[in-house]
Amino acid sequence: MNIILALIPVSLVLLGVAVAAFFWAVDDAQYDDLDTPALAPLVDDDATRTDEPARR
Amino acid sequence: MPGACFHCGEPLGEGDALFATIGARSHPVCCIGCRAAVEWIDGLGLADYYRLREGTGERAAPADDYAEWDRPRLARRHVRELVADRAETTVLVEGMRCAACAWLIERALVRREGVHEATVSPLVQRVRIVFDPSRVRLPALLATLARLGYRPHPLEGDRIDALRTSERRAALKRLVVAGFGAMQAMMYAVALYAGAFDGIDPAVRAFLRWMGMLVATPVVLYAARPFFAGALREWRARRLSMDTPVALAIGAIYTGSVVATVFGGAEVYFDSVCMFVFLLLLGRYVELRARQRAGEVADALVRLQPATAERCTEGACETIGVHELEPGQVVRVGAGATFPVDGVLRGTRCRVDESLLTGESAACLREVGEEVVAGSVALDGPVEVEVRRVGPATVLSALARMVERAAAARPRIARLADAAAARFVVRVLAATGVVVLAWSAIDPARAFASAVAVLVISCPCAFALAAPSALTRAVGVLARHGVMVVDADALEALAGVDRIVFDKTGTLTEPTIDVAGLRVARGSHEGALALAAALEQASTHPYARALRDAARGLALPAIADVRETGGGVLGRFDGHTLRLGRPDFALVDGDGDALVLADDAGEIARFPIVERVRAGAREAIDALQAAGVACEIVSGDHAERVRRVAAALGVAEWRARATPEAKLAHLASLRTRGDAVAAVGDGVNDAPVLGGADAAITLGEGAALAQAASGIVLAGGDLGGIVDARGVARSMLAVVRRNLRWTLAYNLLAIPLAALGFVPPWLAAIGMSASSLIVVANTFAIGHPRADARSAAPAAAPTPLARAQPA
Repeated sequence: MNIILALIPVSLVLLGVAVAAFFWAVDDAQYDDLDTPALAPLVDDDATRTDEPARR
Repeated sequence: MPGACFHCGEPLGEGDALFATIGARSHPVCCIGCRAAVEWIDGLGLADYYRLREGTGERAAPADDYAEWDRPRLARRHVRELVADRAETTVLVEGMRCAACAWLIERALVRREGVHEATVSPLVQRVRIVFDPSRVRLPALLATLARLGYRPHPLEGDRIDALRTSERRAALKRLVVAGFGAMQAMMYAVALYAGAFDGIDPAVRAFLRWMGMLVATPVVLYAARPFFAGALREWRARRLSMDTPVALAIGAIYTGSVVATVFGGAEVYFDSVCMFVFLLLLGRYVELRARQRAGEVADALVRLQPATAERCTEGACETIGVHELEPGQVVRVGAGATFPVDGVLRGTRCRVDESLLTGESAACLREVGEEVVAGSVALDGPVEVEVRRVGPATVLSALARMVERAAAARPRIARLADAAAARFVVRVLAATGVVVLAWSAIDPARAFASAVAVLVISCPCAFALAAPSALTRAVGVLARHGVMVVDADALEALAGVDRIVFDKTGTLTEPTIDVAGLRVARGSHEGALALAAALEQASTHPYARALRDAARGLALPAIADVRETGGGVLGRFDGHTLRLGRPDFALVDGDGDALVLADDAGEIARFPIVERVRAGAREAIDALQAAGVACEIVSGDHAERVRRVAAALGVAEWRARATPEAKLAHLASLRTRGDAVAAVGDGVNDAPVLGGADAAITLGEGAALAQAASGIVLAGGDLGGIVDARGVARSMLAVVRRNLRWTLAYNLLAIPLAALGFVPPWLAAIGMSASSLIVVANTFAIGHPRADARSAAPAAAPTPLARAQPA
């Protein structure tokens, strides 16, 4: 049973990481628009990218 | 779509075949503007747009000149400097229809030199652009949007937007913290409950309690902060509502559990407190989203007011920002332009189209010295106006504020449920006090545990969730049916309506041109039709569509300088000025019920305007009458026409020749008689009548403002939406009532048991969560199955059979 004394704190650390990742995602506006990104995979990549590389 | 423009979907003219080329394929387009738009989009490598989009684009207009947006004083209000080479602006983009539009706009902007970032929110039709002001200017960005076929409106300081966004993000974060916390705390709690049955090592028990405290602490201190902040605010204002009792309950349960953990008490309730916070936050989040969506209706009014004006001093005119104007100055407004300010007409009289403000479609004549209001359109011009009121003082701004206030107000049903919940929590707190006192007398050791059990098992979350979740579900279901609910109170009122008063013109009927009845004064039948269709080639007016349809197959002549004004269309052909419009516009005599084509030498042809009953009107009225709702027509039109329409629709009660005052008086007399009345109109002449009804419904084609002022808008003019809306509103109210009854019954059963000490903590936690989940699950009955049966039938021709089918 002593293993839970180690595993539960580990799970809490993972939880903290998950929450931090979620906060980052919300602040990065990833939850502001849930419609447009669904189209992205349907688009062919084009080779003729202009002046700057990927911006985001 | 054969015979339709590849870009905008308008029918093609026969004479002038235009093609746009994408790759190896060429596609037909209707005009040079659309060809330019297609080729430009392809040139940017964005031709995928045509594959991804769900609807056709707007007809591309030649790009306006946006140079005035570069004026420093104007730019300062619309562009925010972030750091040295980064500035930010938010633009409202009119004409954005689907996610593919959003994609196109984003790509087209990001490919521009100097643009760092473009984020599009299709829901609110906005794009936020971060750019380098030293490399690209605002006018160039606006021109980019215009070339795509959209109409950009820079928004003045998007502070409200930023506020809304940060409010939504903060709510989402709190919700997720509470959710994660609830899941973790529940896992430790299950272990503790199992231990309570099977026995548990005291050290492991203490460890699990400490872990529970570890996850519950951020939930209480961070996620539940709005409740504590609200309670503090209420305490300062010396009033009591939902937040105070909730904060007290959270505080008491958490403190009690912490004390039990540290000093070894009987029970801990960390799982319950987390679940409690999560469910309450869920209700608030759902409501916040619904409210923010409604608030965006007010944005429609932003589009009415121009941002620049031409100021005239001593004969010289310069273009400046509207906010720079002061009362007493003189501005010049060209023909067809929108008045930027409220003011007094000088020099010449002018015909003014105030349809967007008053719903009155006919132009009205304003004499010198009379007042004109911002947002209305000058049909003649140029005219000079002496400024009286600017900016927030104008009539238009007052209307916008009114709409915004209405949108920001919480719906009555939500306020009532909240008040009920607050009363309930106060009573629970009082009961808890009694429990503590009683147990102190009997067995002081059990006093605290019993009090906490009462607080946990009593569930204000179910009360708080009942109304917003049902309302959100109802609004969402109706939006899929093309019914926009602007004011949730109207939905509630509609459920109880037993009489509906319809306006006739524009609501039950729509005007159309009787092409077969064309009377030619000069030249041939086909020649007149071709000329008229060519003039109307660019117009979106319903008459124009009817003319274009009638002229299909004819060779359309090329007409120069086509100009659309409020009263009709002008153009030059063969050295003559052609006019197409009502007789007074075409400068000929005759009554108003015709469209006249004329040139300098006089009348060429005349198209009678007739009325036809709107598709689906009969079915909608049949369904309403079958449901026991009395239908009535009140119109300002001649008795004979109203009688004919009433007979065609099977409506027994009708009134003709009613002035707006008479309509309002009739409505008032119906309401004093005890009827709950809904009024349906298109906003033309109806605005006061709509305001006087219990529930106001307008058709989406009506004037923009009447829509904003009415509670429910039927998009696309399908009257069947009334039937849907009534059905959904009734089931919504039924669900809210059922939820409130069920919550009350649950609490009346559970609280006495908890007070007597019969309820172990695990049962309290299950009871609390389950009662909230049942409330949310109940709302899925709304719009499920009966209301959906109708939308399955095609909107144009819903048969009674299709509606009667059980789903």
